[in-house]
Amino acid sequence: MNDNTQKTHAMNIGDLGRVQMDDTSDVAIRVEDLDLYYGDARALKNVSMSIPRNRVTAFIGPSGCGKSTLLRCFNRMNDLVDICRVDGKILLDEKNIYDKDVNVALLRRRVGMVFQKPNPFPKSIYENVAYGLRIMGVNNRSTLDEAVEKSLRGAALWNEVKDRLQESGMSLSGGQQQRLVIARAIALEPEVLLLDEPASALDPISTAKIEELVSEMKDKYTIIIVTHNMQQAARVSDYTAFMYLGELIEFGRTNDLFLKPTVKQTEDYITGRFG
Amino acid sequence: MEKIESNISKVGGYTGQRMAKDKLFKHVMTFGGLSVIIAISLIFFYLASVVVPIFTPAHMDELQQISLPKNGGGATVHLTSEEQAEIGVRMTDHGSVSFFDLRDGRLMAEENVALPEGSEIRSFAAGDPSQQAVAYGLSDGRMLILEQEFKVTFQQDPDDSEKDIRTITPSIAYPAGSEPLVVDESGKGLALLAVQHNQENTTAVALTEDNRLVLAAFESTSNMITGEVSTERFGIDLPMIEGEISQVLLEVKQRDLYVVHGGRYVTHYDVMDKQSPRLVQTVAVVPEGERVTAATILSGGFSLIIGTDKGNVAQWFQVRDDDNNNHLTHIRSFKPMAGQVTTIAPEHFRKGFLAGDDKGNVSIYYATSQRLVLKRSTGSEPVRVVGFSPRANAILVESTGDAIQTARVDNDYPEISFSALWQKVWYESYQEPEYNWQSSAATSDFEPKFSVAPLTFGTLKAAFYAMLVAIPLAVLGAIFAAYFMSPRMRTVVKPSIEIMEALPTVILGFLAGLWLAPYVDNNLAGILVAIFLLPFSFVITSYLWSLLPHHLKSRVGTGWEAALLLPVIVVVIGLAIQIGHPIEAALFGGNMPHWLSNELGWTYEQRNSLVVGIAMGFAVIPTIFSIAEDAVFSVPKHLTSGSLALGATPWQTLFNVVLLTASPGIFSAIMVGMGRAVGETMIVLMATGNTAVMDLSIFTGFRTLSANIGVEMPEAAVGTTHYRLLFFSALVLFLFTFLVNTLAELVRQRLREKYSSL
Repeated sequence: MNDNTQKTHAMNIGDLGRVQMDDTSDVAIRVEDLDLYYGDARALKNVSMSIPRNRVTAFIGPSGCGKSTLLRCFNRMNDLVDICRVDGKILLDEKNIYDKDVNVALLRRRVGMVFQKPNPFPKSIYENVAYGLRIMGVNNRSTLDEAVEKSLRGAALWNEVKDRLQESGMSLSGGQQQRLVIARAIALEPEVLLLDEPASALDPISTAKIEELVSEMKDKYTIIIVTHNMQQAARVSDYTAFMYLGELIEFGRTNDLFLKPTVKQTEDYITGRFG
Repeated sequence: MEKIESNISKVGGYTGQRMAKDKLFKHVMTFGGLSVIIAISLIFFYLASVVVPIFTPAHMDELQQISLPKNGGGATVHLTSEEQAEIGVRMTDHGSVSFFDLRDGRLMAEENVALPEGSEIRSFAAGDPSQQAVAYGLSDGRMLILEQEFKVTFQQDPDDSEKDIRTITPSIAYPAGSEPLVVDESGKGLALLAVQHNQENTTAVALTEDNRLVLAAFESTSNMITGEVSTERFGIDLPMIEGEISQVLLEVKQRDLYVVHGGRYVTHYDVMDKQSPRLVQTVAVVPEGERVTAATILSGGFSLIIGTDKGNVAQWFQVRDDDNNNHLTHIRSFKPMAGQVTTIAPEHFRKGFLAGDDKGNVSIYYATSQRLVLKRSTGSEPVRVVGFSPRANAILVESTGDAIQTARVDNDYPEISFSALWQKVWYESYQEPEYNWQSSAATSDFEPKFSVAPLTFGTLKAAFYAMLVAIPLAVLGAIFAAYFMSPRMRTVVKPSIEIMEALPTVILGFLAGLWLAPYVDNNLAGILVAIFLLPFSFVITSYLWSLLPHHLKSRVGTGWEAALLLPVIVVVIGLAIQIGHPIEAALFGGNMPHWLSNELGWTYEQRNSLVVGIAMGFAVIPTIFSIAEDAVFSVPKHLTSGSLALGATPWQTLFNVVLLTASPGIFSAIMVGMGRAVGETMIVLMATGNTAVMDLSIFTGFRTLSANIGVEMPEAAVGTTHYRLLFFSALVLFLFTFLVNTLAELVRQRLREKYSSL
């Protein structure tokens, strides 16, 4: 990517939501004219956006607006839904991930995902974190040990579980489970981390820990977070996209979007007039 | 205030009604649940109550003393009783026969044997107890055969006209005539005697006082017209043997003669052909330094029981070797007695015997089960004579010379011991120890064979082959249906397989026995080829499918690919059956079952494990499929998504997450299926041939515990060992299925607990 293309994209984004990108950041994922259909129903309508690299981008919007659906497009989890069809492009490193020659399993290693409900496997804490590496064929004990420790530290869980790595991952509390799942995802050293309402099933203290973790991780990963909680979006994200009825209404710097929304619908939503 | 109160009371009333309903249903549910538990327990306790008697030790009452008159007509030589064990019989070496009431010891009658002028009694011999005949050997070389007789008469009770008084009048009779039969033509006294007598034939073997062994046979033929009985006598001297002869034993069929001599030897003579008796062999039955002090032949005439001066008791019988020669062989030793064995008496109809030693002990043994059933001390005097009542429910013992001791014995199940049920047993006339189940036979000298081992083995074999068919099909099918199959196809496939469970197994058994078994017999090669080819054809078809261009593949919806295998299955089976006959013709001489038995020596039975495996596999598949499918299907979707999101392929997700999570459920499915296969009756009853053999071959049948109950329960007499053993097998089955199902349920409960947080 050269500076020119970067500018163009910045311009495009700017057109959408007056975003001025930092000079240091570039684009991690570019969405171009994305339409998504569930059977005949159009769930995403002509979405185009550029997700900045090593920043936290939040998707907000009322239930059913398509924010989770859009998130699931980034690692093609929508493929699991039989009747789902996608038009348009999602470019990761200038490569359309919906091309026929894309290996979905490899894509998902580059684009990790954490779900709303903590979903550790019924295995030990160690094996949960090592899972992604093991299915890649890594079985070297020391490599795994190193990766597990690094990932658990990265997910701020190491100090709590280092003495009981062989216990079941399901013996942990909800907040710990969610951090375990994050550790499991970052063990594969993905470029992008998708968080689908990662704190909605957790208590306030666990939520705070997850939010803290998200802020810490953005140096290494491009993070996209879907949330219902506007305060959370305001707290953790650098950029925010507001979606409504399958359309991207407004996308820009979080501060700008919350303080000076340019679109009436955005203002209505963040001031609580609907949603 | 008033208003509020009324409202509260209204609410209260409503709540009361609701609580009453709640309580009612709680009680109804509790009652239902408890009833089920009680019903199951009752079944268990009923089965157990029928089984318990065979495992309770035999019981003997206190010994009763019956005093004899002073110098009571000589020394006792024989003790027995009448059928009901009410009247005891004692015979002495002076020819005095006395009858006494066993309940109160009253002497009822006493008779002396009518001896011919000038002769004296020199020896005594008892025939087989089931025949009742005994004989006295006389000083003039003749013998007198006699038997006890009990005349039962009924007289009206003078006090109660409705009742009759039963009177038994004992006496002695001379079945071969009151004139003695000549045993030794030279007229020497008979020092030792052995005799067997029945209506047609009488055989006697005697050691004369001048030390010759003579045999005399008498054949009675009755004239068809006049009814006159004429007796022909034939006598011959037997080849003599070394050593002092201490006992001569002739078995009931009058074919085999055993002579105990030289302290430790038994010589076997074949006397079936009375014209040319043959000395078969001489065997040392005890090691040097030990002496045979008592010997007898068990009921049925097969087994010899040897007792020694060291108290050892052992069973011997003839075993046929591969060259058709009989050898007198040591079969088993029993728990030794405390002192020198002085006398042994057989039970009249079973394989038990009673032995006495010189320290005053008597022991009841049972041969088949190798058991010392009962042991009792009669005092310190050596035991001289022992005897059983005909039904073995009383024993008579004489040791002191002035009294007889008698006791009731409750010993209905001596055949049962751990070794008789579960280990190899060397049965009479068998070449070697075997596991065998043969509960009844036409002859009365039959030794029942109650080994549960082959039946248990058959049960497990049936379950094994059924599971061999069912587990791969049901479990793999369940995984496919739950994980890969399209939802629409699943809604059709799952209920149809589950409905198979409702198919009565009698129909499956009927089809298996009458259609499948002959079909497999006729197309054995084809069936085997089909079983071999099917998995390969699936793999090849899948490979070809993956080569197809995408637009063709996409015409078949995701999850419907399996439907494409249906025609493949039909074609492969059809093809295999078609090429089966040419293969048999080319490789197996036209008939594979024949070839198997002739060339490989494998037994091939038409109703075999292969047929049962297929039929029972079909019966078990729905059970396993249904539970396993539920287990796989209920693996939470967010777990599979989590795995896929980490870049795992669907197959990796299946093996690493789905099967791991569902494994307890799949295990419990297999256990429930196993419980079903073990308890299944109709299919194995109709399709196995029901022979109780123990081998793993897929081409032979077997007999299962459940089928055995089905076959034999109608013919088992209530309360017999056989009847109770059938209940025992039912109990074993009950416990087995109960354990397997409980295990399955526990695993499932644990699974539910473990994954409740998912």
